[in-house]
Amino acid sequence: MAADTGTTDQSHKTHRTHQSGSSAKKKKSKSDKNNQEKKQNPKAFAFTSSVKAKRLQSRAVEKEQRRLHIPTIDRSYGEPPPYVVVVQGPPQVGKSLLIKSLVKHYTKHNVPEVRGPITIVSGKQRRLQFVECPNDINGMIDCAKFADLALLLIDGSYGFEMETFEFLNLMHNHGLPRVMGVLTHLDKFKDVKKLRKTKQRLKHRFWTEIYDGAKLFYLSGLVHEKYSKREVHNLARFISVMKFPPLSWRTSHPYVLVDRFEDVTLPERVRLNNKCDRNVTIYGYLRGCNLKKGTKVHIAGVGDYSLAGVTGLADPCPLPSAAKKKGLRDKEKLFYAPMSGLGDLLYDKDAVYININDHFVQFSKVDDENGQTSRKGKDQDVGEALVKSLQNTKYSIDEKLEKSFITLFSRKPNGPSETLNDANDTDQDSHHIHGMEPYKQYQSGEEVNADEFGGEHDTEDVDGSDSSDQDGGVKKDDIIRSAIGGSDEDNLMEHVEFIGGRRRRKATFLSDTDHDDLKVLNGGLYLFLSLKESLFLVKYENQHKLAFGTMLTPIIDSACLIECIPFFWEQALELDNQSSCGSDFSDEGEDEGIDVLISDCLVHENISVSELVRFIALLEDGMGNISKWKESLLERTVLRQSTNLMQLVYGKSVSTSATSFNEAQDSSEGEGSEDDEFFKPKGEGNKKLSDGQDSGNVNTEDCSKFKIYGSLKNWKDEEIYESVRDRFVTGDWSKAARRNQSLEANFDDDDVVYGDFEDLETGEKHESRHMDDSSNGAIQNEDESAIEERSRGDIMYQATFGSFDVFQSIVRFVGCCSVSFHGRSEEETDKEHVARFHRGQPKEIGLIDKMKEEIELRKQMNIAELNELDEVTRLEIEGFRTGTYLRLEIHDVPFEMVEYFDPSHPILIGGIGLGEENVGYMQARLKRHRWHRKVLKTRDPIIVSIGWRRFQTMPVYAIEDQNGRHRMLKYTPEHMHCLAMFWGPLAPPKTGVVAVQNLSNSQAAFRITATAVILEFNHEAKIKKKIKLVGYPCKIFKKTALIKDMFTSDLEVAQCEGKEIRTVSGIRGQIKKAAKEEIGNQPKRKGGQPREGIARCTFEDRILMSDIVFMRGWADVEVPCFYNPLTTALQPRDKVWQGMKTVSELRREHNMSIPVNKDSLYKPIERKPRKFNPLVIPKTLQAALPFASKPKDIPSRKRPLLENRRAVVMEPHERKVHALVQHLQLIRNEKMKKRKLKEEQKRKELDVEKAKDELLTRKRQREERRERYRVQDKAKKKMRRHAEA
Amino acid sequence: MGKTAYKKLKGSQSLRQRLVLSTLANTPLLIQDIRAEDTWPGLRPHEVSLLRLLEKVCDDCVVEINETGTKLKYKPGTIMGGKNLVHDCGVSRSMGYFLEPLILVALFAKKPLSIRLKGITNDSKDPSVDTFRSTTLPMLKHFGVPSEGLELKIESRGAPPRGGGEVILTVPTVEKLMAVNWLDEGMVKRIRGVTFSTRVSSQFENTMIHAARGIFNHLLPDVHIFTDHKAGSQAGKSPGYGISLVAETTSGCFISADTTISYAQGEVGEIEDEEKQELTPPDNVGEQIASFLLEEIEQGGVVDSTHQGLLFLLCALSEPDFSKIRVGKLSAYGIETLRSVRDFLGVTFAIKPDPSTGTVILRGMGCGYKNLSRKVS
Repeated sequence: MAADTGTTDQSHKTHRTHQSGSSAKKKKSKSDKNNQEKKQNPKAFAFTSSVKAKRLQSRAVEKEQRRLHIPTIDRSYGEPPPYVVVVQGPPQVGKSLLIKSLVKHYTKHNVPEVRGPITIVSGKQRRLQFVECPNDINGMIDCAKFADLALLLIDGSYGFEMETFEFLNLMHNHGLPRVMGVLTHLDKFKDVKKLRKTKQRLKHRFWTEIYDGAKLFYLSGLVHEKYSKREVHNLARFISVMKFPPLSWRTSHPYVLVDRFEDVTLPERVRLNNKCDRNVTIYGYLRGCNLKKGTKVHIAGVGDYSLAGVTGLADPCPLPSAAKKKGLRDKEKLFYAPMSGLGDLLYDKDAVYININDHFVQFSKVDDENGQTSRKGKDQDVGEALVKSLQNTKYSIDEKLEKSFITLFSRKPNGPSETLNDANDTDQDSHHIHGMEPYKQYQSGEEVNADEFGGEHDTEDVDGSDSSDQDGGVKKDDIIRSAIGGSDEDNLMEHVEFIGGRRRRKATFLSDTDHDDLKVLNGGLYLFLSLKESLFLVKYENQHKLAFGTMLTPIIDSACLIECIPFFWEQALELDNQSSCGSDFSDEGEDEGIDVLISDCLVHENISVSELVRFIALLEDGMGNISKWKESLLERTVLRQSTNLMQLVYGKSVSTSATSFNEAQDSSEGEGSEDDEFFKPKGEGNKKLSDGQDSGNVNTEDCSKFKIYGSLKNWKDEEIYESVRDRFVTGDWSKAARRNQSLEANFDDDDVVYGDFEDLETGEKHESRHMDDSSNGAIQNEDESAIEERSRGDIMYQATFGSFDVFQSIVRFVGCCSVSFHGRSEEETDKEHVARFHRGQPKEIGLIDKMKEEIELRKQMNIAELNELDEVTRLEIEGFRTGTYLRLEIHDVPFEMVEYFDPSHPILIGGIGLGEENVGYMQARLKRHRWHRKVLKTRDPIIVSIGWRRFQTMPVYAIEDQNGRHRMLKYTPEHMHCLAMFWGPLAPPKTGVVAVQNLSNSQAAFRITATAVILEFNHEAKIKKKIKLVGYPCKIFKKTALIKDMFTSDLEVAQCEGKEIRTVSGIRGQIKKAAKEEIGNQPKRKGGQPREGIARCTFEDRILMSDIVFMRGWADVEVPCFYNPLTTALQPRDKVWQGMKTVSELRREHNMSIPVNKDSLYKPIERKPRKFNPLVIPKTLQAALPFASKPKDIPSRKRPLLENRRAVVMEPHERKVHALVQHLQLIRNEKMKKRKLKEEQKRKELDVEKAKDELLTRKRQREERRERYRVQDKAKKKMRRHAEA
Repeated sequence: MGKTAYKKLKGSQSLRQRLVLSTLANTPLLIQDIRAEDTWPGLRPHEVSLLRLLEKVCDDCVVEINETGTKLKYKPGTIMGGKNLVHDCGVSRSMGYFLEPLILVALFAKKPLSIRLKGITNDSKDPSVDTFRSTTLPMLKHFGVPSEGLELKIESRGAPPRGGGEVILTVPTVEKLMAVNWLDEGMVKRIRGVTFSTRVSSQFENTMIHAARGIFNHLLPDVHIFTDHKAGSQAGKSPGYGISLVAETTSGCFISADTTISYAQGEVGEIEDEEKQELTPPDNVGEQIASFLLEEIEQGGVVDSTHQGLLFLLCALSEPDFSKIRVGKLSAYGIETLRSVRDFLGVTFAIKPDPSTGTVILRGMGCGYKNLSRKVS
């Protein structure tokens, strides 16, 4: 073949594969892979050993277990408040820019500067609040406490800075929220490789700090002075999918991040004394848990205050309606940042501030530019006011009208506003409900307002003829009032204010009116007549509903309304009848009349509003239905009775609380109890008396047992004992079941169950019988099912009591929710099946799952219960819900808070739990931070952050000994936890603590000195330290000695009686008593006092005068009762807060050296060799000793022994022999000497030879090595060349 | 922290709840005008004894009483609990008076409590120790209190006026109480009871049992009433006899009634004379108490009227979930408790009558009280 090719064609150069270079490598790797794939025998990699399998399995299980957490119940039921996104980072890293970019992304608005929290609606379900973390440590501590998500900005070109780690550490200790790192300044890298490496490095470092796989986001650079849109968009998406886990501290404490702050002190007071204590209002969303009335709050950096007033306001940044659509409409992209001066609307409890930019004001009459001249109401025309109000509110004019209407009933606690609102918009949104809250609060708000402005509002007129100029404060320096003659805009007014150069228009609603009318109209019969008339007015002149309203108000106030009520109902029925007959007057007017009616009744009777919503809805959809009318009336009566029962128990005192929790109490209170004879609790007489708390029975005997043996029925009588038959298992089970069931039925459809109104009043017995009689098919059904359910339930109960409870709650919940009965029963059975299944196979369902299920059930039950309550009771029972926008009024804060208020420093207000405002000793497990350079010294002040608080305190460090004793440590141990005891406001156990020593920003090193966790608190701190008392013997008896200098008085000796003592040489002893005179404690001079403080001690052996005796003991260490709250908000923010100084700081300042105790210095120990006296054994003893033990020292002889002294003369033969022996020895010695020499020589020769050989070998080896290295080096070079190529 | 802000109250009414709530909520108390108008003003011996008891159980609590005893300053401390405590309750009120507040306080102590109480065990004014054992302790289980370590041991009985009884109460600590949903009263499935007699013939007991059974026999066969005749040193210092009955329902509710007959205490002059002349005969006592129990059952509710206050307190202290409870007609004591709870803990109950059964349903959210003094390990 080769010949062929050679002859016929021209030979082509054969393809030569690359032997080196990248392509060769590529091929190689590919082929390698193929080979590997081929090699991969799946069986080969399956585990073969059972041990390994077991290990793997256990590892998997372990991993799974580690994933599990004990589920926690989430008790926030309403709309969640906006999530707080804290943007944190060292200065100049781009924090504000990031917020600006994000806000721009979400709202298409440019924020000029970021001051204070900015709330935006980011999605249909989510709102966010961006906060920039200030750069000082105080701000960082506060921010770490309220952040839901922390964006840690890191300068990529510089690397991590200490602030990031400090902040991370703070968050770790105060509950770690979600954390995301954001690398900025990445455009400073020119080299891509370097950039990649840096990213990698920073990412891994970030991971070690949080967890592997923590998200680190990269912002590559700026486009038009903003971060690039795409990247911001991506970041926003990361934020939008984030879930926020509940943190234990926060879920148990309410807190508010302040996004609006106002000083509402009387201007006059401020004018008189600029430094007087101020009253401030603070606005923000309530987070954490529900805020109950009476809760004290801690303002971070200021101190503890009780709330002078809490009001729920309309959400300034509400979530969009729940309508099904994709994405957000532009209209819904709201944002709210009052501190940054953004947003058009500001809501207050009694006003809405509308901010209109001038270029938006496009109607003909533009207000005077300076706004100094106050125009009277006549000047402003109706249309203008209308337009203005239309421009910026989200409420329709109708709604506004309603609200303005509300205010007519200024004195009524139960805002009829809601009634009316609800009446008009049946299709209300969820956020709308929030919107109504402020108006509900009018009554109490009014009083506050009156206080603020000198309480002169009472004199105001109905028609708003201007009289409110008296409040010419600094803020409200100019007020324009428009009083509009038309019936529509009767009560809408505007205030125009200038605050900080920005014009605000305060839209107030005339709320405090008609007291004059009241006086005029007040009068018994006349009133009654006028009422009738007015009602007819309603009928025939429905245009003048408002006039009617105004007429009604005084009536309500008056005491004689009781008489009117039946009339009212009559009228209402009449109205109804007429409408059903198709009477000619318009529906609208009638509606209105009824509404007014109802609202009046309600105001009077304190019926809650939410219950009424249903009632009104009923009214609206079926006006003509008389029976429905009746039913709802009935319903109301029932309701009223319940309210009255609550009133009976809780009495008037509720409404006296300072907070504006709406409590329905007014002049007509007495009637409430009058007309409910039907339900009278036992001991009613008692109660009525105690209603007036100051009556004589404040000293009633405290006895829980309640007995009246006198009035016992004759239970032997068959009729009587048969009446309780059904309460026994021997009785009718179905009846008993119905008894328990009736409650649920009650909730489902009260109207049906309660049959007729008349029956209710006759008494309970009758009522219940009646209920039995009422043979509605549906009820019967229900009853039967209930019986069934009960019997089943009983079986289940016998199995497990707890699960039965749970089951019942399911049933109840389902019952409440489901509309139709049939659907409900199905669900029930389903659930039951589930429950049975669960019980049958308990092992299959994990403990965690079970707990989760239980928690879910509990939550559902809570929600169901809450929904059942009306607004007022709900507020009373659960307090303000999380997510409510709150206005907190706080009185008497130091003026510095207002003066040094800086919106860029967020204010945190945290609620204080039960017992947390008390002070005491706390014990914490503390560890010095490993990055802090020095150990901490006992009693050196440190600043700790616990719970919401920051304060300076003086800890005493200790460690627990094995016997449970807490031994004081002078310094914290190097790498160990120790205990720290300190004094301060108590925090519950398990609370995290962060300690700092220095607040200054300039300190380069790590500022966090230690971290700790609270273990317990106690009234006393039991810390001991070692004490060593040293004394010297002053007189020694046999084994008793008198010890001086150990104690200073006999009392001290007495205290230490029986204590163990010891000499340095180890002789143990005991203190007996203070030494008396007769045993040697002689005074120095005759007749003088014997010395005090000499102790008589006994030892196990006689001690010497040179011995030192010491006693070891434990002395209590006092923990200083010192704590100093950090008042950083009461000083300029750039100033460093200065608290108590450490000893070393003071020394440095005063140039003092460290005191030295000479005795404590270490010196070389000089020990003189001790000379002992010779041992002398007494003769008698010697004689008694056995021979072996007898001392055998024989006195040395003066003359040598005879044997040594004598001369020896040898015989001739002997001499010969001796000479011979000597010769022989000589010869032998010579021989040996010679042999030795020879051996020496031989060895030397051998050594020389060896050395030569050695030299040679070494040479050869060197050569070999050299050769080898050369080859290796060559190969390496070649490789490198290959690699480089 | 400077001055302590005292909560100012007036009168001696509901002193027990006030003290308990003040201790739990850590609110210092200042009570004025304690029986200021009375001929015998000031605190009664049993009230002082209760304060001493609280001092024993708590650390660092400060009690100041003025000379006439009309003014009381109470600053609560940390609840410690502990073992081997002894308290002499005196003879002006029986132990039932002390047990109720004590058990509430001890649940939230640092260490489990074990205390020996000396005094009157049974008395007509307060629930007897038998009732406490049979009704109150099981009630706590609904709130998640573990049953081990929760015990009342009656060592010896003492009837008024001279007492001489001894009981040992052990209470475990809890971290928090569970909210309850306790509406189902169930039906009475069995009636149990204990009669006792000290320094009188044991025949008295049999008579009482016989009389009581006579009433129940129409309704329920499962009635067992045990006798507990004490003699010698166990019988205390005064003669007396009494009965305590408990009805247990199918849903785990216990409804109790009890009384004790003995020579009344010396302090109430007039009644003393009358009662000395004739004590209620045992057959009447048995009938009376059985009827009273039936009346309690008729009233409805998951607890009897005696335990309403305790039930409300427990609900108010539970986790911030909804508790739903059904009680019979509200007793005056229960109402007082509700008011005190509102004042101290800020917990309000929605009270709604259930007209069909004549009961009252209370719904409320617990304040989420947590045992703060317990150490974390």
